[in-house]
Amino acid sequence: MLRQQNVLQNLIIVLQVILIFFCFVDLSGLPQWVLFTGRLHPVVLHLPITLTLLLIPASLIVQHHPENKLLKDYTDALIHYNALLATLTALAGFLLAANGGYEKDLLSNHKWLGVGVAFISHGLIYLNKLKIKFILWNGAVITSALLILFGSHLGGSLTHGEDFLAFTSEKKQSILIPSITENTTILQGAIQPVLNAKCISCHNDQKAKGGLNMKDINSMLKGGKTGALWVSGDPEKSLMIERMLLDLDDKNHMPPKGKAQLSSVEIAIFKEWIHKGASPKLTFHALADQDTLRKLITKLIESLPKAETIKEYNFKSASSKTIEKLNNPFRHIYSFANNSPALIVEFYLKEKYGHASLQELKDISDQIIQLSLAGMPADDQSFDIISGFSHLEKLNLNATSITGKGIDKLRSCKQLEQVSVANTSLGYDEISSLASIPSIKKLFVWKTKLKIEEIESLRKKFPKIQWDNGYIPDKNELLKLTPPILDDLEKRIYGPDELIRLKHPMPGVKIRYTTDGSNPDSASSTLYTEPIKVLGLMRLRAIATSDGWLTSDTTDNSFFQRSFKPDSAILLHQPDPKYSALGAKSLTDELKGNSPNLSVNWLGYKDSTFKAGFYFYQDKEMKEIIVSVVENIDQYVFPPVKITVKGGDSPKKMTILGTVMPEQPTKNGRKHIIPVHIPISPKKFRYIEIEAIPVAKMPKWHPGAGDKGWVFVDEVFFY
Amino acid sequence: MDNQEKQFRLNVTRRHFLTKAGLGFGSAALGSMLFKDQLFGSSDVQSLPLGVAQFAPKAKRIIYLFQNGAPSQLETFDYKPLLNKMHGEELPASIRMGQRLTGMTANQEKFPLVGSTFGFSQHGKSGAWISSLFPNMASIADDICIVKTMNTEAINHDPALTFFQTGAQQGNRPSMGAWMSYGLGSENANLPAYTVLLSRGRGNGQGVYSKLWTNGFLDSQHQGVVFSSGEDPVLYLKNPEGQDRTSRRDMLDELAKFNASSFENFGDPEINARIKQYEMSYRMQSAVPELTDLSKETDATIKMYGPDCIVPGTYAANCLLARKLSESGVRFVQLYHQGWDTHGNLANDMTMQAEDVDRASAALVKDLKQRGLLDETLVIWGGEFGRTNYCQGKIDPVNYGRDHHPKCFSIWMAGGGIKPGMVYGETDEFGYNVVKDPVSVHDFHATVLHLMGINHEMLTYKHLGRRYRLTDIAGQVVNSIIA
Repeated sequence: MLRQQNVLQNLIIVLQVILIFFCFVDLSGLPQWVLFTGRLHPVVLHLPITLTLLLIPASLIVQHHPENKLLKDYTDALIHYNALLATLTALAGFLLAANGGYEKDLLSNHKWLGVGVAFISHGLIYLNKLKIKFILWNGAVITSALLILFGSHLGGSLTHGEDFLAFTSEKKQSILIPSITENTTILQGAIQPVLNAKCISCHNDQKAKGGLNMKDINSMLKGGKTGALWVSGDPEKSLMIERMLLDLDDKNHMPPKGKAQLSSVEIAIFKEWIHKGASPKLTFHALADQDTLRKLITKLIESLPKAETIKEYNFKSASSKTIEKLNNPFRHIYSFANNSPALIVEFYLKEKYGHASLQELKDISDQIIQLSLAGMPADDQSFDIISGFSHLEKLNLNATSITGKGIDKLRSCKQLEQVSVANTSLGYDEISSLASIPSIKKLFVWKTKLKIEEIESLRKKFPKIQWDNGYIPDKNELLKLTPPILDDLEKRIYGPDELIRLKHPMPGVKIRYTTDGSNPDSASSTLYTEPIKVLGLMRLRAIATSDGWLTSDTTDNSFFQRSFKPDSAILLHQPDPKYSALGAKSLTDELKGNSPNLSVNWLGYKDSTFKAGFYFYQDKEMKEIIVSVVENIDQYVFPPVKITVKGGDSPKKMTILGTVMPEQPTKNGRKHIIPVHIPISPKKFRYIEIEAIPVAKMPKWHPGAGDKGWVFVDEVFFY
Repeated sequence: MDNQEKQFRLNVTRRHFLTKAGLGFGSAALGSMLFKDQLFGSSDVQSLPLGVAQFAPKAKRIIYLFQNGAPSQLETFDYKPLLNKMHGEELPASIRMGQRLTGMTANQEKFPLVGSTFGFSQHGKSGAWISSLFPNMASIADDICIVKTMNTEAINHDPALTFFQTGAQQGNRPSMGAWMSYGLGSENANLPAYTVLLSRGRGNGQGVYSKLWTNGFLDSQHQGVVFSSGEDPVLYLKNPEGQDRTSRRDMLDELAKFNASSFENFGDPEINARIKQYEMSYRMQSAVPELTDLSKETDATIKMYGPDCIVPGTYAANCLLARKLSESGVRFVQLYHQGWDTHGNLANDMTMQAEDVDRASAALVKDLKQRGLLDETLVIWGGEFGRTNYCQGKIDPVNYGRDHHPKCFSIWMAGGGIKPGMVYGETDEFGYNVVKDPVSVHDFHATVLHLMGINHEMLTYKHLGRRYRLTDIAGQVVNSIIA
C-alpha cells in the first residue's frame, strides 16, 4: 500500500513539473496526436470532481471513527488518486485549450483554477501525513471542493456558452438570406430571415412569449396577448413597430435589452413592408428599381459578411510535381486559391515563347481556368491546344499574333466566359464566330479590325455579351503639347565650341524658338533644325507645335557664354548658413542654380548685403559684368534693389565702375533667373568688388509686407 | 524567418548533440514536441501557405496612385454647399469637438469656414458629386467607388503616410506592397513584385522616403524597387561596357557559389535574399527595356494619358508605366505624386495638380478596362488625410488654404472586385465628421487584402516574440463596397 502510494506520489510530482511547464509555453505547436489526447479532458474531469466532493464525507467519517484502519487506508488512497486525476485533468485541459477556439478571459480563469486544484489536491497528500487539527484539514478539503466547483462551472461555460445556466439563454443567430430572385416574396427574402435571427428564439412553437409565435405568417397574423402585430398599411399604428421603437430601457422594448437588437435598416424594412400592406405575396418583382424597400433590403444584404469561400471547383487537381515541372520564370503556373484544383497560367517575355511552351500544358489541360498569352507571339495553331482546356473561363490573347483562323475551336471550352483580343488583327467574321460561343459573357475587342458600325451590329446581334471596344480619341478634343526639352538639363554656360540641343519626345513635332526675348510663335519664329550657338548672354524661348495638337507652353532659359574666370574670389559678407552653397567658389564654378530650388548652388543673403571680391592676375580687358540673381516671390526672394561694382588695382584703390537698380516686381509672378548687366568702360582690372543690396521692406501686396527680403546670387560673369 | 530559425536549430554538431543529450532524453522528447516541425513535418494551423491566395481572390494586382500631401476632400469628391453659404463664418465648436490641430493652425484665433471655389456636378449612375477640376475622373464615375468616409489617426504627413503604407505610424513595419509580395509572391519572376514610381507636381510638396516602401522585418526581397524618373528607369541594369550576356551569366554563377558558401557558414537569410535579387536583375535585363520604352506609344495612347505621358518622370508617364508593369504581372505598383499640400494658395495649386493628375488617372482605369484587366486589377486613388473645412491664414477673395484634417477624407477605388459606380459613406454638412459608415485605415487595409484573397488576420509574421499583421489588431472588411 505504502509502496503503491510512493509510486503515485512520484508520478504526481513528475506530472506537475510538466504542468508548470505547460503554464508558460505556447502549446499550439505540438503535434496533432499529442493535442488530440487533450480531448480526454471532458472524460477525465468528472473523476476529480467526484473524488474531491467524496473527500468531505470520507474525512468526516474517518474523524468520527479514528480506530477504523480500513477506512483510513481508503481515504489515503482517495487522496492520492484524487491528486493524480486532478493533475491529469489539468494537463489534458491545457492540450485541449491549445486546439484553440475558446473565449480567452474565461479560459484563462478556468486554467488557473484547474492548476490550483491540481496543486491543492497534491498538497492534501502532505497535509494528510502531518497530524494536523481536524478543523484545519476540513478547511483545506472544503476550499479544494469550492475551487473545483467554481472551476468546473467556468469549464461548463466554456463549452456550453456563458449563458448556459441563465434561464433566458438563446444562441445568437446571424441573418441567413436565401438566394433571392424576382419571384421571391419579401416575406421569405427579408422579413422571415430577420425574425428568425432576432425574434423567433422567444416566439416559437415551444416558447411563445406573450402568446406570440413568429415562426410563419399565419401564426403572426394571430398576434399575441396584446393584440395584432400590425395594421396593414400603417406602420405608425402597428404594435410590432411601436415595441421596436420604444426606449431600450422600457420593459416593453423588443427585442428585450441584452438581446441582439434590430438595426435601423432592419426596422425600416419592417416599417416599409407594413406600409406596403404587409402582404405575404408581395414579391421583389412588384418593386420598382428605385423602390425604398428594395433599396433597404439591398443595403441589408450588403452589410452582411460575405463568406470567404473558395470558389468550388470539383475537378481533380494536377500533381504538384507536374506543376513544379512546368513552372519557370517565363511560364508562371499557380493555384487560383489555396486548396483549389484550379490553375492560372501566364506567359512572360516574348523571346522565350514558342508554340511548344503552350503544348507542354497538355498535362494540366483540365485544371487551367485562366490563361494569359498577352504580348506573346502566339499564332492560330494555339487554338488547337487551348480548345483542349476543358475548364477554361478566362482567356487573354491581347497583342498576340493570332488572326482568328480556327477560333471556333474554342467552342469546346464549355466554361469560357471572357476573352480579350485587344490589339490583334481579328476582323468581323472571327469575332462574330467567337461571340457565337454560347458560354461567352464578355469580349474585349479594342484595337481590332472591327469598324465602329460593325461593333454596333455585333452588340445588336449578341445583346447578352458585354462588349468593350475601348477608348476612341475624340478628334475635336485638342490637347496641349509638352514643351521642348533641353538635351542637357543642367548646363547653362557654353564655351565657343559648345551648342544647345533641343528635343521633343513626340515624333513629328516642330520646335520653334527666339533668342531675343520675344514670344515665339508657331508661324514666324525660327524653326529648330540644328543646335544653337550661344553668344554672350542669350535668352532662349522655345515652343513645340504639331498638327492636331495645341502649341506647347514656352520654355524660357537664359544661357551664358563662358567668360574669363577671376583667379580667386572671396566673400566679404557671409551668406545665411542655410544658403551657403560652396562659398565664394560657387560664384565662378559654372554651376547654375535653378529658380524653384534655392538650396543648391545659390548664395542667399537677408541680414547683410551680398558683397564679394574678385582678383585677376591676367592682363585682360573687361567690358561687361553680369550678376545672376533670382526672383522667387513665394520664397521671399526679390531682385536686389541695387548692385554696385567697384574696381581698381587693389581693394584699397578702387573707383565705382557702375551701379544698376534692377526692376522690382509689382506682383507675384513667375520664378525666374535674372541676369543683371553692368556695362563698364573697357579697361584692365586687378580687383573687382560687387555689392548687391536686398529689399529692406517687402511691398504691401506681399504676405511678408514690411519685412526684409532675400537676395540670391549663383554666378558672376566677367566679359 | 521561422523556417530559418528551425533550420538553424537543426544545424547541430555531434558535440552539440551530446551536450544536449546530457540533459536527458526526457527534455529531448519535450523539445521534439515543442519544435515538432523538425521531426513530424508541418501541420501548424497558424502558418499559412505563402505565395497563394487563401481564398478566391477578386484582384490579382494593385496599382496605388498615392496623392502625396493630401488632396482636399472638399475640392474633389465631398461636395459641401453649406460651406459656401457660411463662407467666412466661424466653425462651430460643436462640430470641431476638440479635435487636435496641427501646429500650423492651432494658434489661429479664428477658424473661418471656407467653401470650395470650384463648382461641383453630379456624374454617372450613382450621381456622384465630382469637382469641376476633374472632368476626366468624372467620365469614369461609373467605374469607380468613391469612399467619402476615410479617416486616420495621424495629423501630420510623415506619420499619416507611414500609417497608410505600413499600418503603423512609427515606420518600423513592412509596407503594404511588401506584405503582398510576402503573402502572394511574384506573378512574373522577371520583375520585382513591388515597384515604386515617383513624380512631383507643381503644388506645395512633401517628401517621400524609402521607409514608405520598406520590407520592415520581412526578407529584403520584398522591398519596393524604385524605378527612377530619368530616361533609364532602372539604374545599372545594363551590362557594363565590354561585357556580354554570357559572361554576365558566368559571373553571376560564380558569385552565387561564393554567396551560397557564405550562407552555409553564417546562415544569414539576407545572403539568400541577395542571391535571388541578382538572379532577378539578370532576368530584368530582358523584361524592363520593353516596358520602359516610350518611343513606340501611339497617338491614341498619348491622347488618352495626355502628352506628358511620354516625358519620363511625369505622373502621366508613371501611370502609363504602371499599366505596363501591372499588365506584366507586377503584384503591387505604388505611385507617389507630390504637391497636394495646400496650406495656402489652394485655388492655384489644386488647379495645377489636377491638370497633372486628372487625365492620366482616368486613362489608367480606361486602359485597364479596354484590355479586360480592370476586373483583376485594383486601382486606388487618394492621399494620406483630408483638409480642414476652415481656412488656414486669412481668407482672400480669390485664394485660401486648408490645414490637415484626419477625421474624414475621400479616396476612390476601381476594379479588382470593387463595386463600380458607387459612393460610400456620409460626412456631415460641414465636411468635418463622419456621419455614417466610417472607414479607418485598418479597415481599408483589411478590405484590400480581402480583395486579394487574403484574410488580414491570417497573414502574419512572427517578429520579436509576437505575430504582426498589416492591420495589427484592428480592421474590418468593408463588405458593402465589394462587388
